[in-house]
Parts: sequence; structure tokens; C-alpha cells
Amino acid sequence: MAIIFALVARGTVVLSEFSATSTNASSISKQILEKLPGNDSDSHMSYSQDRYIFHVKRTDGLTVLCMADETAGRNIPFAFLDDIHQRFVKTYGRAIHSAQAYSMNDEFSRVLSQQMEFYSNDPNADRMSRIKGEMSQVRNVMIENIDKVLDRGERLELLVDKTENMQGNTFRFRKQARRYRTIMWWRNVKLTIALILVLALVVYIAMAFVCHGPSLPSCFK
Amino acid sequence: MSFQDLESGRGRSTRKFNGGRQDSTQAVASGIFQINTGVSTFQRLVNTLGTPKDTPELREKLHKTRLHIGQLVKDTSAKLKEASETDHQSGVNPSKKIADAKLARDFQAVLKEFQKAQQTAAERETTYTPFVPQSALPSSYTAGEVDKVPEQRAQLQESKRQELVLLDNEIAFNEAVIEEREQGIQEIHQQIGEVNEIFKDLAVLVNDQGVMIDDIGTHIDNSRAATSQGKSQLVQAAKTQKSNSSLTCLLLVIFGIVLLIVIIVLAA
Repeated sequence: MAIIFALVARGTVVLSEFSATSTNASSISKQILEKLPGNDSDSHMSYSQDRYIFHVKRTDGLTVLCMADETAGRNIPFAFLDDIHQRFVKTYGRAIHSAQAYSMNDEFSRVLSQQMEFYSNDPNADRMSRIKGEMSQVRNVMIENIDKVLDRGERLELLVDKTENMQGNTFRFRKQARRYRTIMWWRNVKLTIALILVLALVVYIAMAFVCHGPSLPSCFK
Repeated sequence: MSFQDLESGRGRSTRKFNGGRQDSTQAVASGIFQINTGVSTFQRLVNTLGTPKDTPELREKLHKTRLHIGQLVKDTSAKLKEASETDHQSGVNPSKKIADAKLARDFQAVLKEFQKAQQTAAERETTYTPFVPQSALPSSYTAGEVDKVPEQRAQLQESKRQELVLLDNEIAFNEAVIEEREQGIQEIHQQIGEVNEIFKDLAVLVNDQGVMIDDIGTHIDNSRAATSQGKSQLVQAAKTQKSNSSLTCLLLVIFGIVLLIVIIVLAA
């Protein structure tokens, strides 16, 4: 929680206040209200005390004060003060000038609490913080993208190796297929020649019997 | 004799006419110039309204200037009317008509400008009250009132000092806010630079992987071609094998027949 205490006052009369934790902020803020320089002139001031800073904004006679952590900077606390000032003026209007001390505390302390929560935790409270948050998200997403692309690269390398192996295997397959075709062709040739020889032999033997001799004498007479 | 008399009379009337024209036109031009100058002065005084220089003396001067310009406008208007009446006579030089028309237009323009300045002056006179400096107070003061002047001066100095303190506070506040905002902007700038670097790295990686994918495509194309060729070789081998089977059967049949004949012959 960056903003711990908030207070709305007219001059030195406190109209409403809220404290997120139990601190002595209330008494310190009263001292600050008494010591503010200038008489009801608009101003912005910051007072530091230990690890906390009291930010004060006075506009049109109405003073808004908050105690914030040192790390909260100035943009968010003063945006908070502007917001509280507008809400207070919108809610109570002219009654501010004649109100008694703490007369708005019952209603407005809840508003103070909600806005303290909002400006302390919500990154949308400050445009700069929101842009910073979005840039961080973009950076994280891009880092994830880099990781995914690297992973994809590794898988692509595996795929390159596998397709290379596949290419080698298909080249060998083609070579073996060609060799097999050649073998089959030669076997076919051999069988054809064998068939021709056997047929010739059979015809010779038959003619030998018919012509009454191995040298076929009667057929060539 | 009569001819000489006629010529002499015409010459005299021409001379008189020239003198009248020159006086009338020049008077109008001079009047318009003076009105222009007066209106410029008036506008300068009007621009001073609402500033620390706005004093009762200035307002008095403004009033006098306004009256003076009004008088000039009346005089110049009369002269312009006189000049235009002269233009209606016959035998007037055309260039004089043109000059008078131009002067009339200029007069209208300067009048319009004066009316606008008067309107602005009226608005500002009602909006602002004159600033009364201390030195302008009447000198006839009683002893008691004279004693109050040092107190007022001291109060004035005190309030000025407080005002300076407030301004210093505002300046310190604004400087702190500006510094914080600048720091935030620097951080955002740095993060954007980092994201830019990441995008460049990503581009390099994607480029390399494009090369890998091209290699994969080449390998697959080569595999497809080799497989097709192998398939065609195997188809031919299958045909040859079928033919071989037929030839083998034929040979076996022939051997069988020959063997049968031999056996029959031997048995007989």
C-alpha cells in the first residue's frame, strides 16, 4: 500500500480523514495544516518525515493531504489528491464552507479508503505506470516468442536430419530396384535360351528316328 | 477681338477648376491619414487595458483620443461629400473620379476598424477596473494617515515575501514532478529499446529457420523423385518375373514329355 493516510480540511478544520494503518499521521497532519505558508492561496507541497512523505494540495480554500510511502513518488499521490478534491467538491458543494469538524467523515472516509486502494495498487492510476506495465508485458511475450522459436528451430533441425535420412534411403531403394530389375531381365533371357535349346534337341531326336540314323541319311538323299 | 475674349475667359475658368479639385482631394487624403494614425494610437491604448499600466490617466487619454478621432471622422466625411458632389458635374477628369472612389473605400475601411476598436475598448472597460498605484494617491493626508503608510508598505513587503515563498514551493514541486516523469519516460524508452532488440533477434532466428525449411523441402522433393523411379523399376521387375514363371513351366512340361517318350521306347 503506497498511500497510507488521507485527509480533507478547510483551513485547519478537518472535515474527513481515513487511515489504513494505526499511525500518528493524524497529529502530524494537524501540525502541517497549522504551519502551511500563505493564506488560502493555491499550492502544492511535500513534507518528508521518517520514511513517509506528506503531500499537500490546497485549492479554492480546501486542503487535501495524504501520507505516502517514499517509493510512491509524486505523480500518483498528487493525482490522488486531485481526484479526492474533485469528488469532495462534487459531493458536498457549498456545504464545505460551513461544515463542522469531522461532519463528513462517516460518508467520505469510505471514498477515501477506496481511492487509496485504487491509487496504491491499480496500474491504471498513472498513465506512465500503465505504459510501463504494458511494455513489460510486451517484453515478456516477446521473450516467450523467442523461446518458442528456438524450440521450433530445434525441431526443424531434427526434421532436417530425418528428411536427409529419408532421402538417402530412397536413393538406396532406387538403386536396389534398378539392380533387381536387371537380375530379373537376365534370368528371363537365360530361360528363353534354355527353352530354345531344349526344343531344338527334341526336334533333332525326332528327325533322327524318322530318318533312320544319327546323321539323317534318308532325309537328305 | 471677340475670339481673344472667348479664349481669355476659358483660361480663367480652367485655372479656378484645377485649384478646387486639388484642394478637395488632398484634404480628404490628409484626413484619412490622420484618422489612421489616431486609430493606431487608440488601439495601442486599448491593448493596455487590463494590464498593470491600466490607470485612470490612461482611461482619460483613451477618452480624449476617441473624441479626437470622432472629430476627424466628421471633418473628413464632410470633405468627402464635397468632393463627390464635385464629381457629379460635367466635364470632370475621369482619373479624379477614380481617385475619389478609392479614397471613399479607404475611408469606409478605416471607419470599420475604428468601430471594432471602440467595441473592444467598451468590453475591456467594463471587464477590468483601473489599477490605482500608491503614488497616485492625493498628497493631502492627515498625520495619522501618513503614519499608516509605513505599515502598509511593510504589509505589502510581507505579502510579497510570502508570495515568493509560495512560488518557490510551486517551482520545487513542478521540478520534482518533471524529474519523476522524465525518469519514467527514460524507463519506457529503455524497455522499448529492449523490445526492439528482441524483435531483431527473432527476425534472425526466423530467417535461419527459413533456410532449414528450404532444406527440408529439398530433401522431401528428392525423396519423392527417387521413390517414383524405384517404383517404376519394381513394376518392370514384376513383369519380368511373371514372364520368367511362364518360361519355367514350359521347360518343365517339355522335359516331362521327352522323359515319357524315352521310357516308352525303352519299354518296347
